[in-house]
Amino acid sequence: MTAVLSRMRSHFAHWREWELNPIVIKELRQGVRSWTVTGMLLLFLVVLFIASLGFLITESLSVNASVELGGRMFTTFVVILAGASVFFIPLYTGVRVASERQANGLDLLYVSTLSPARIILGKFLCSAYIVLLFFSACMPFMAFTSLLRGVDMPTVLFILAFLFLIVCAANLVAIFLACLPASRPFKVLFAIAGFFLSFWIILPIGFSFFIMRSGIGSMMSDPNFWIRVFLTALLAVGIGGLFFVLSVALISPPSANRAWPVRLYLTACWLLGGGLALGWCVRTGQSDGMGVWTYSTFALLVPALLVTISNSDQFSFRVRRKIPGSRLKRWGAFLCFNGAAGGLCWLVLLALATGAIAFRAMARLPGGALDDDDWRKLITLALYVFAYSLTALFLHRTFFPQRPAKLAGLLAVLLVAGWALLPPAILFFINELSWKTVDSLQLGNIFNVEFNRDSGHVVYHEYFAAGWLLLAVALNLKWFLRQLQNFHPPAAAEPAPPAERPA
Amino acid sequence: MKVQVQNLRKEFGRTVAVDDISFGFDSGNIFGFVGPNGAGKTTTMRIISTIDEPTAGDVLLNGVSVCEEPELARRTVGYVPDTLPAHPDITVHEYLDFFARAYGLRGRKRTQAVEAIEEFTSVTGIREKLLKALSKGMKQRVSLGRALVYDPDVLVLDEPAAGLDPRARVELRELLLLLAGRHKAILISSHILTELTEICNGVVIIERGKILETGTIDEVLKKNVSRRTVAIRLLEGNSHQNPQLLKELLQTPFVENAREVTNEIHFDLTGDESAACDILGALIAKKFKIIEFRQTKANLEDIFMSVTKGGVQ
Repeated sequence: MTAVLSRMRSHFAHWREWELNPIVIKELRQGVRSWTVTGMLLLFLVVLFIASLGFLITESLSVNASVELGGRMFTTFVVILAGASVFFIPLYTGVRVASERQANGLDLLYVSTLSPARIILGKFLCSAYIVLLFFSACMPFMAFTSLLRGVDMPTVLFILAFLFLIVCAANLVAIFLACLPASRPFKVLFAIAGFFLSFWIILPIGFSFFIMRSGIGSMMSDPNFWIRVFLTALLAVGIGGLFFVLSVALISPPSANRAWPVRLYLTACWLLGGGLALGWCVRTGQSDGMGVWTYSTFALLVPALLVTISNSDQFSFRVRRKIPGSRLKRWGAFLCFNGAAGGLCWLVLLALATGAIAFRAMARLPGGALDDDDWRKLITLALYVFAYSLTALFLHRTFFPQRPAKLAGLLAVLLVAGWALLPPAILFFINELSWKTVDSLQLGNIFNVEFNRDSGHVVYHEYFAAGWLLLAVALNLKWFLRQLQNFHPPAAAEPAPPAERPA
Repeated sequence: MKVQVQNLRKEFGRTVAVDDISFGFDSGNIFGFVGPNGAGKTTTMRIISTIDEPTAGDVLLNGVSVCEEPELARRTVGYVPDTLPAHPDITVHEYLDFFARAYGLRGRKRTQAVEAIEEFTSVTGIREKLLKALSKGMKQRVSLGRALVYDPDVLVLDEPAAGLDPRARVELRELLLLLAGRHKAILISSHILTELTEICNGVVIIERGKILETGTIDEVLKKNVSRRTVAIRLLEGNSHQNPQLLKELLQTPFVENAREVTNEIHFDLTGDESAACDILGALIAKKFKIIEFRQTKANLEDIFMSVTKGGVQ
């Protein structure tokens, strides 16, 4: 603690020597010199100029002065700005990161004193500066609209801040996609998916239209408005933060403890989300907030489980050296360090804690965010998800032990998809496929829990999933205990297990 | 600065890329690291440079372990890959300045370091040129400059001469000799073995992840040249005597594998230098008009060809 304080004191004492993140400087230099950025900026300015000219010419033809001209012009500028920044800047940032990763340029950064977090932060900050560059290029046009009638300054600032937050989150998603260890064709597919996802831009644009109409001044006095603003901002920051830690984990060397920051971050988000949901419940006296939290946790649980079972069981020297010696601390570390076994424990604890807290809160408060049927479905789905994951883990270990660990995650997806598609496919070929057969009871089919004509069938799914999970736990128990036993700091001169080829 | 590679092993799944290798070299020395493609050279170099982690064993850079204290170790090592990674829209100066910043150099110290390196690697004239516009040789200079910008004690160069023209190779060689003179410990891998023979003090020959030979160049040459090759050239216009000379040599003690090679007669001498002297005396006595009688020196290339089998994992 004293060391940290003295380091901080020394850091602030030498404030004259503070320098920008080197990645930001390099990326900005490259960005300014790049024809892509300057060309896009020029095009952006031309479009803004033509749009304003169009407005002014058409307005000069009308006899009566429009009281909404400023507002209409501003909305158009927001659309142009959002289009340029949500589509172009994340694409530019993503391509830059992907090409650097492809060329092994990051390897050279590993030999420097830059940490993966500083590298990603640098990339993100650079993209944020480019966003600011576009915003500031748009600023004279927007300032001009405020001279006309139909728009007020607080609304302008609020919409711009909101849009800035959205674009920053989109940039972090683009950086994450670029960091994925995928081949070029996959990256192109991701880019296309990212392009379509960018159409969520309609959301902020729609929101800005709404705000423009009513004006923000009338809403500012309402505390609920500020709560919504705060929650939206928190959600955007939370999602951005998640993609940030995921990107850091992806570019960290294979020998690093990649799981640590991601699991800590997700646990912190889960706690914060739970706290906010509880606060919301206490404030409103309704349990709806807990429902949102429970469903969000479950939605995060599924991808987290896939990633967790794709973790290698082997610990590098660098990771093993950080395993605490004391038994109590080691338990905590087991949950947050690399490895599928610890990750599974962590997820089981999160799921159980979420269920217990939400169930107690909902039992005490009115609102009925989740009724008995919803609970049963949620529990059944959770049981299925764990059962499929553990089965995939067992299959990978038994039949493909030499293949990379990420195959376990793929196997889990294939098992779910296979079991859902195989029976209808067989029925199709024997000419027995009908709506009746599709929504009839299909034990093991995870989708059938929801799409079942008889809601009473869920109980069969529940028992089946529980039985399957027990079997899967039994099959993996020996492996799990071995992992637990192996989780200790290395003894002197102990060799590390073989590594996987770096992505 | 002393670099010690100790029982290094690296496995990728079932593939053993580096299999329990040990060697060492000191500052002021250039150590050649040779082996066929896929022998484990790059893996070893990446481990020394703290980019990868070994499965077992360790590398000590002046006693600092790359496994135990990689953050500390990487401050003493500069790594030059075989190709300069693509960095569009950045000039030579900006590139070097970026890495100087990345290594924590600040203010005036950074400016001075970058300028000194630009001068040392002779890129001052092209400092405002874009990286992508540089020739391969110039890129290699910039890459070397990048690794040297924070003045590391150990330099690890992975195939730096690959694809360079003869002039660029000579210039690179001179730079490396200069660096060795500045007490840097240099490990260099290359397939141009004749050049390594000229600049290296020591060599490690590796194949299938195992060390086949290591030591100073002289030691390795002595160890592997158990037999000498002798070449005999007759006075011009006397080549008709070659078949007779061949016949004579085949009946001479300590001579094996006598053959005609482009107007010369070559044979393997299994005896010592006095045996060679006796053979020469006997041939002159038999009226062979010998104008040249020389022992051909084995070089690194010969050793490499004799000890390796060209296998990869």
